[in-house]
Parts: sequence; structure tokens; C-alpha cells
Amino acid sequence: MSDSGPNSGRFPFYGPQGRLVLVDSALEAVSRGSTTIGIKTPKFAIISSQIKPTHPLIEPSEKIFSIDYHVGATGAGYIGDILQLIDALRLEAQKHKLTYESPIDTDSLAKHLSTYLHNYTTYAVRPQAASIILAGADETGIQLYQIDPSGTFFRGAGFAIGQSSETALDVITREYSADLTQKQAIGLAEKAIEKALGEKPVVETGVVLADEKTFHKIPFGK
Amino acid sequence: MTTIVGIKTRDGVVLGSDKRASKGFFIGSKIVQKIAKMDETLAVAIAGQLSDAEYIIKVAKAERRLMELRRGFSLTVKESTRLIANLAYSGLRNYQPYYVELLVAGVDQHGSHVYAADMSGAITEEDFASSGSGSPIAYGVLESLYNKEIKNEQAKEIASRAVAAAMERDPGSGNGIDVLAIPAIPREVTA
Repeated sequence: MSDSGPNSGRFPFYGPQGRLVLVDSALEAVSRGSTTIGIKTPKFAIISSQIKPTHPLIEPSEKIFSIDYHVGATGAGYIGDILQLIDALRLEAQKHKLTYESPIDTDSLAKHLSTYLHNYTTYAVRPQAASIILAGADETGIQLYQIDPSGTFFRGAGFAIGQSSETALDVITREYSADLTQKQAIGLAEKAIEKALGEKPVVETGVVLADEKTFHKIPFGK
Repeated sequence: MTTIVGIKTRDGVVLGSDKRASKGFFIGSKIVQKIAKMDETLAVAIAGQLSDAEYIIKVAKAERRLMELRRGFSLTVKESTRLIANLAYSGLRNYQPYYVELLVAGVDQHGSHVYAADMSGAITEEDFASSGSGSPIAYGVLESLYNKEIKNEQAKEIASRAVAAAMERDPGSGNGIDVLAIPAIPREVTA
């Protein structure tokens, strides 16, 4: 570190344009992660993530995670960071159950993750290089969230994160309808990922159902 | 000391209490409020140490409001009761129990509920419940008059009859009756 200039002697959180440089780097890392999709309709939500091909002898990492019986999540970025965040979500879900004897709502989980991630942006530590897509069923119905390394979170009906996510989100935006069937939504997610990557990907998918208030993973090849 | 009763009905819940606060063989107060409203859908009837009960209710009320603001919809009756029971249990485990027995009654999207929560942290869901020194007498009245088909109007009458009977024979209870009725939330009309 140089001994003159506005940041001399201090940890450089802010860049010259007033941006949080570490958070920007984390977002950059996320945008190199596997393409990951979330789609919501009033009856269900699906989350899909591309599984990056590994060596034939190595099993690829799991990308769709069960948070509780009624909530599922996936992410893009460094898998180690994703797993850490998944565990923070699972822990919060069980804490809620102990405190209130009821399943946690999706909004509380999203806000908890937002707070958790935001903490890493205020100290001289490495912000988590992972964005999470969260889908759950509760009293308010089906909810879908995207939570970014900055702690920013969005609620919506369609999200794409990871590699070429803009392309993937374009495909979803163009073909989304609230009347999509589960099969169509899964097809749309796969199409969006394929378009983003320019080749047929291996995709893992999970589904949350409004009526049953349950989350389950869908095995490869449906 | 005290008599409190809680009754679950087809269209809500009803709480009843006497108004006496005892200091040994002395009547400390004749106008005590033993029914505390948490909000429009939940109330708690207090037996035991008033200060302990007020503290627990104050904390639970704050937590309930906080949760409502954070997640956008309020805690169910069961969730609120579990919250209160957890406070009571942590007190017990720290050798500083809250000397209370509470009747938590309210309405939510799942219907009407009456819970009994005591200083051990245990909770039980009941159709009707009573607590305090006058409860054996109140239970006699409740057992003979309660049925599952009653509505709030009849339950108000039964609650005050139960408390009145206890006040006749229990020296720890007296000086008038308070009754609170909470109407059920209208079921959401599904389009």
C-alpha cells in the first residue's frame, strides 16, 4: 500500500468511483459460476443449476439443496462459499422451528441471508463469492428470491445468475407465463441455460409445490 | 391465588378472570387486570406472580410485533405460545423460574386456540382451561357447561359463571369479573 492518496493506511473498501471493490469482485466471481435459474408461478417454483462437467472419475458437486421440507436453494459462485451459505440457511430454519415451533417463511430466510452476507461487506474480510436463489412455500404462498454477495435481495418470478446470466434471463423473460406447467418451466430453465452456454448442459433441478408445501429434487433426466 | 378461565368456541375465544390481588391474607388490590391483550387477535390471562407475567408478556409482545414486521404476517397462536413457553423454560433451567401460569388464547388463519403455558415451559392445547387457586371450582362449572358447539356469546356467560363460582368459595379470588371475547378471523375468500 502506498503511503499517500485517499486510502493510504486504510483498507481500501471503496474504489475511486465509490464502488465497493471487494463486492464487485465477488459479483464478478459469481458471473463466472455455473448458470443457475429460478422460475416461480402461483402453483410451484423450480430452481435449476448447470452441473459443470468434471473428470469421468469424479462425481460432480450437488447444486440443488434442501433447506427444510418446504424450502430449496441453489447458487452460483465458489462452491465452498455456496455450501457455507446453504448451511447458514439450514441453521436459521431449524432455529426458527425451535423458537416458534413452525416452519420458517421464505422471506425470513432471505432476510437472514441478506444480513449474513452484508456483514462480510463491512469488515476487512472476503465477501462471499456466491449468489443464492431461494424458493419456498409458506403462508403467503410460493416465494422466489435471489440474494447477492452485497446482501441485496430480490423477490420475483424469474431469476438467472452465473455465466451468461443476461442471456438466460432474456430467454426466461420472453417465454415466461404464470400458466406454465411444471414440465414447461423445467424445459424453459434448461433452454435458458443451453442458450446461455451455447451447448447442451447437464442440469440439476428442484421443485417447490404450493399445495403440498414441499420441496423435492428431481433426479437427472426427470 | 386468582381464578382465570379460557374457552375455545366455534367463532373465537373467550378469557375470564377475577380482579383480586392477594398479599398473604390481605387483599392487595381489588381492581387488577389479569387479562392482557397482545393485539386484536391474541390475549393472555395471568395467574401467579404479576411482575413475572407482565415481563414475559412485554417481551413476547415485542417479539411478536418484530416478527410481524420482518416477515409480513403475524405469529400464529401456537407460535406465540411456544415463544412464551421458551422464555418460561429458560427461566426454569437457570434456577430463576417465572412464577406464572398463563392461558394464551387467540385466533389465526388456522382457527381459534386456547393454550395453557406454565413455569416449566410446558404447553398444552385445550378446548377450555382454568388456572389459579380457584381453578378446581371453575373447572367444575366448565366441565358441566362446556360443549364444542358453543359460540362466544354463550362462552362469555359460562366464563363468568365459572369465575363467579370460584369467587364464592376461594378466598384468593374475588372483587369482580373481567371477560374478554376475541372473534375469529373471517376465513379468506378464495377466488
